[in-house]
Amino acid sequence: MSTVSDAGTTGSTRPRRSARAAGVDVLERTGLVLFLIALILWFTIDSTSGDIFTSGANIRQVLSNQSVTGIIALAMVAPLVAGYFDLSVAAIAGMASVTMAALVGTHGYPVWLSIVLTLLVAGIAGGVNGVLVARFKLNAFIVTLGTYTLIGGLLQLYTEGQSIANGIPESFGNWGSLTWLGVPRPFWLLIVAGLVLWYVLTQIPFGRQLESIGSNERGARLVGIRVDRTIFLAFVSSGLLAGVAGVLLTSRAGSADPTAGSAYLFPALAAVFLGATTLRPGKYNVWGTIVGVFVVAVAVNGFTLLGADAWVTPVFNGASLLAAVMISTLFARQRESMARKVLLDGFKREEPADPNTNELER
Amino acid sequence: MSGNPAPIPDPSLPSADDAHATSVVHQGRSVLLEIIGLSKRFPGTQALSNVDLRVRRGEIHALCGGNGSGKSTLIKILAGVQQGEPGGMIRVGDESSPADAVTPAFADSAGVRVVHQDLGLFPDLSVAENIALGSSFPRRRSGRIDWRRMRTNAEELIERFEIRASPKTLLRDLNRAIQTEVAIARALQGRESGHGGILILDEPTTALPAAEADALMRSLRRYAQAGQSILYVSHRLDEILRITDRVTVLRDGHLAGVHETADLDEDALTTAILGRSLAHEAAVKHVPVSSAGVPVLQITGLRAGPVRGVDLEVRRGEIVGIAGLLGSGRSTILRSIFGDLDREAGEIRVAGAVLPKGSQSAAISAGVAMVPEDRARDAAFLDLPVAANISASVIARYYAHLRMQDRKMTRDAASLMATFGVKAASPAVPINTLSGGNQQKAILARWLRRDPELLLLDEPTQGVDVGARAEIYRVVRDAADAGTAVLVVTSDVEELAAVVDRAVVLRGGRFVAEIAGSALLPQHLNELIYKDVPHVDSV
Repeated sequence: MSTVSDAGTTGSTRPRRSARAAGVDVLERTGLVLFLIALILWFTIDSTSGDIFTSGANIRQVLSNQSVTGIIALAMVAPLVAGYFDLSVAAIAGMASVTMAALVGTHGYPVWLSIVLTLLVAGIAGGVNGVLVARFKLNAFIVTLGTYTLIGGLLQLYTEGQSIANGIPESFGNWGSLTWLGVPRPFWLLIVAGLVLWYVLTQIPFGRQLESIGSNERGARLVGIRVDRTIFLAFVSSGLLAGVAGVLLTSRAGSADPTAGSAYLFPALAAVFLGATTLRPGKYNVWGTIVGVFVVAVAVNGFTLLGADAWVTPVFNGASLLAAVMISTLFARQRESMARKVLLDGFKREEPADPNTNELER
Repeated sequence: MSGNPAPIPDPSLPSADDAHATSVVHQGRSVLLEIIGLSKRFPGTQALSNVDLRVRRGEIHALCGGNGSGKSTLIKILAGVQQGEPGGMIRVGDESSPADAVTPAFADSAGVRVVHQDLGLFPDLSVAENIALGSSFPRRRSGRIDWRRMRTNAEELIERFEIRASPKTLLRDLNRAIQTEVAIARALQGRESGHGGILILDEPTTALPAAEADALMRSLRRYAQAGQSILYVSHRLDEILRITDRVTVLRDGHLAGVHETADLDEDALTTAILGRSLAHEAAVKHVPVSSAGVPVLQITGLRAGPVRGVDLEVRRGEIVGIAGLLGSGRSTILRSIFGDLDREAGEIRVAGAVLPKGSQSAAISAGVAMVPEDRARDAAFLDLPVAANISASVIARYYAHLRMQDRKMTRDAASLMATFGVKAASPAVPINTLSGGNQQKAILARWLRRDPELLLLDEPTQGVDVGARAEIYRVVRDAADAGTAVLVVTSDVEELAAVVDRAVVLRGGRFVAEIAGSALLPQHLNELIYKDVPHVDSV
């Protein structure tokens, strides 16, 4: 933030912000949202893309297509807040999709029971990651990359590479294609998932504990947070959300493709990192992630309408991942140097001291 | 104590008292390292003032002094890491430089070699590789590493320094004494033996068991006989007396004396290090604590790491200090109580209830609070707001009506900041924008708001300026007056003597003394920390 007040004043005074710092702040918070609006305006005004881009069908298409990506991206947020990667969410979503189709189609279970069982399976998969990371202290990046690949392979084995489409009830298969209040149902589901995750991450102690762990895991342990359990629960919640995404995926397609899930990994990753550059800069956050999803989606959709080919999707995913990491790192550095300057000013103004002189002599 | 030994006048050297008068550069060729009039000011502190130091060729010269005496600063300036004030002069061999212009490059070319307590070696690499990493790997013409030449280099050094290892041995398979020898060999490679260069050893034996320390000291004697000059920084008086030729003592940044080691014994050296100033005695005021009070903390037979079985009771409203050297196990005791370390044996009771091993949450719910030594690593959430840091210990209390009561959290944090004197622009700024002292006060606020039964403080004033120190102890005393039992560890014996009601001295893994009341003086504490002193209060 900005400045340290003079000696003797405490929380009662308002911070005096330098105009520059405030400007950086606002730009940081709203930058991605403004960029999304700019993209939308551009594709609307452009005569090549404009008509189709603004058509109801295209908007509905983008909103409902991106809901699966969005929920998978949200699934990554909780572990990331605690400082842990979860790359397996896309694979868990794929597994949930196949599980759902198999239960409701192949085995003829009722829809509600199939959903419950699917979420259970997805939650367990997340729990396995959680145990490996929290209990056995394995590197989360490698563990979840491992489960991502492993689950992908097991799905191939189970389905023999075939899609499962038989026996999926119309009512379930169509749910994802319908709208409510003119907005596709999958998008509503994304908003509900976002609200639930937002509540969990910001409105109950669990979220604060995750944030503390992400900031300083040892420190968190030493204020009595049950770190291992909290990390485990973060991975379980991540698995559950991925399960929701998987159920939605089956419903939208009316079938389950064993390879469908894994394709969501990079778009979701790009969205989460873009999201961390905005609204609460430097922190992984729910609404930023959803904005991130649509930045990538709108750009890809617009460029496709302008005549770009299949290359545009991976190029835009990759570019936005790099841009997100760069922007957040640069802003973080800026914040840090500002903080350091403020600290030094504070030293000059208050009792001067050099940390070196207080260190233990060895 | 026996009489204060006067610094021994050395015919070749000006004594400490007239050192300042002798401002001419001492040109005796027998003196390899010469520092004249070295001063260093940090904001708020005079770390060194007008210090002289002379180390002869082939001499092991001890540099002694308590914490904060300026030893580390002197070494940093010698190595060119920090610069002295203008006016001082440093000469090594034939090269000299004004004290304010010493650079790492100068130190390197003049032959200043520092081996730190943390040796900076690579445990998974071989001896030869570790040595090669100190200079550069020998290459063949093709650019490939010349492994054979690297091995012969290492063999030569191993022979010269009589290291009991082969070039291929992995560092982690060697004991610490031999590892130290490897570090010394690495530092001195490229310098002919006896040809200039000063080796500075900073607390080389702190982490060593006695037998290994002996072996290392024998090696050092050999190197000195071969002509190597060594500046030996250590807290261990017995070692200094055994292997060094002369001793330079610093106290509060001033040169306190230069002595021939042969003229010293342990008492005399202790006195030389501590001085006889009793200025602090008058300032000490202790509240007598009734021994009938209820013990909040009861430790029996605690064994963990270096701690070899200690018993301790701390009562309500009492501040007890643990004195001891670095590595004596002071922190181990605190961390065992808090469940951050698994104890090997022994029982810890807080308010009568036995604490289970290794559970912080059990300790916390029993009413224990701990301010750890390393704030950045173990306590502060640096990127989170001050309010979140202060609330971290009670986060669940702010969940009400189905949501986090953030406004209440911020309001409470603001009022705690006022109570504990935490100076910050607002509770919403990240805690890393605060000075060290204010961060520490915020961490204290985090714990004291829980009204703990037992407060554990590990070096609570490390990296904290003088003003904040006083405020921190005021807050701690207030908590004690309100009934909290406090157990504090600090390396600063003057601080300890000034703030605690009772102190226990930890040496060799056991409590060797317990002192209170008028016997609680910094000098006395220091003596007990270093060695056995027959004294009325010793237990």
